[in-house]
Amino acid sequence: MSKILIQNLHKLYNPNKPNAFYALKNINLIVEDAQIVILKGVSGSGKSTLLSLIGGLSKPSEGKIVINGQNIAKLPDIMSSAFRHKEIGFIFQSFNLLEGLSVYQNILAPLALTTLDKEAIHEKVSRAMQLANIEHKKDQNVGSLSGGERQRCAIARAVVMEPEIILADEPTANLDKENALIFIEILKKFKALHKTVIIATHDTLFDDLGVIDRCVQMRDGELLE
Amino acid sequence: MSIFLSNEIIVFLLIEIILVVLMAISQFNIITILRHWDFNATTPLQYALEKKNYLVNTILYFTVTCKVVLFFFFIQSLNALSGIVPGAMCSAGVVGSNHYGNALLLLKLLLIFGFGLWLIINKLDLLHITFPYLKRKYTLFTVLFLGVLGEFVLEMLYFSNIPLTVPVFCCSVVFQAPRLPFGYTQTLLVLFFYTLLGAIILLNHLKQTMASFTCNLLFLFIAYYAITYFFGLYIYEMPNHKCPYCMLQKEYYYIGYLIWGSLFLGIFFGIMPFLIERITQKSYVYLLKYSSMCLIVTALICSFYVVRYYLMTGVFL
Repeated sequence: MSKILIQNLHKLYNPNKPNAFYALKNINLIVEDAQIVILKGVSGSGKSTLLSLIGGLSKPSEGKIVINGQNIAKLPDIMSSAFRHKEIGFIFQSFNLLEGLSVYQNILAPLALTTLDKEAIHEKVSRAMQLANIEHKKDQNVGSLSGGERQRCAIARAVVMEPEIILADEPTANLDKENALIFIEILKKFKALHKTVIIATHDTLFDDLGVIDRCVQMRDGELLE
Repeated sequence: MSIFLSNEIIVFLLIEIILVVLMAISQFNIITILRHWDFNATTPLQYALEKKNYLVNTILYFTVTCKVVLFFFFIQSLNALSGIVPGAMCSAGVVGSNHYGNALLLLKLLLIFGFGLWLIINKLDLLHITFPYLKRKYTLFTVLFLGVLGEFVLEMLYFSNIPLTVPVFCCSVVFQAPRLPFGYTQTLLVLFFYTLLGAIILLNHLKQTMASFTCNLLFLFIAYYAITYFFGLYIYEMPNHKCPYCMLQKEYYYIGYLIWGSLFLGIFFGIMPFLIERITQKSYVYLLKYSSMCLIVTALICSFYVVRYYLMTGVFL
């Protein structure tokens, strides 16, 4: 069974207004379990909009997004939040870390909403830090980290809930070459852990990368396969 | 005569207008939702309706909750009006000052029960992804909205027809012999009160929703008269003071709020399981337990005043 099934998906902004425009037009996409998929395209091509719809951050105007057999576009807001918390890990271009908190505290944040005991939480946070190779900075304030370290902290936070799906929006846009390559190494770990990963990027670094299962080109809100 | 009788009434009417406008906007959208709703569709119309549904739900949850709270403010405002209506000593005089008062109060009570039912159905509906009770919930609201419009018209008629120069009757049976409905005597009334209460507790224990529903409605009627024409005498310690409102006042330590509040809550929990079953086909019998508890509280408070009076004086009124 496909992990993510997208059918006839449209996203219209400002409906019934003169400045109405389609950010996504008739998207049809199937992502199999444990696949790593790249969404490629220039700025404004609809990559981030598509990611936000898959992640349940916004609702489509038409069509459906079925994840694990559930059309998430139909989920009420409260259930959508629970779904995101449990099933999806987000990695953002600007990291979106909680400034003023340490690396450990940032990674722990999603677990604060669970009923796990302290020991289990600590174990999960340690595992996530190991995977993202940021364990040595765990007590450091995120404000004092370099760009690459901030990115790795964000990755650890994204995987701490052990989601099956990881969505990354321009994950290497704010990284130098060396840190971008570290991200690729982490991507290989995701592959080994059978995570389904969708990356929106225009970085050529991902071209012809062995770990990538599929590359989908986007332009003006449409898929060009 | 003026509709702006006091600050409380002005505030009350302003809030009512805001709530009626919000409900009217919601009702307009409800008609669209009821006509075109198809949860399985993934069309732009359905997604737009789902957004509308979310908005309407939020507005209705707010307005319906406000209406419930506003009922208590309404009672309080009537009490305050007794100071400017000649002859009125409490809400009894104010409510009975024209033909619309009692009808308005009855309609408000019915609407409170209706709003309570709507809040429960709404909660059940939102628990599911597919909004299984959406159409029934909004149909129920449409009926309630018609009631709200009627209530608003009655409020306007009522407040604009309160006489400020002609004295009104208050606790109008103070100097008259007791006149009970259907020729009942006080003894018969009290007998009915306790018998029916016992029956309700038994039916609630046996989870007989339909029988409990019927008995609770009957009990509402019997309890109103029993409290006003029998237990009230012991609360006021006056043989001819038969008023359902004075016990809400400070002089009686606001005990009326507890008596009427527990009675109405008990009736509410007693009739809801049957109605919810009819609407959702889901069992909600655990509410019957709360019904018994609330009604026992009502009976205990009422009985306390009778026992206390007897122990103090050695006679019954």
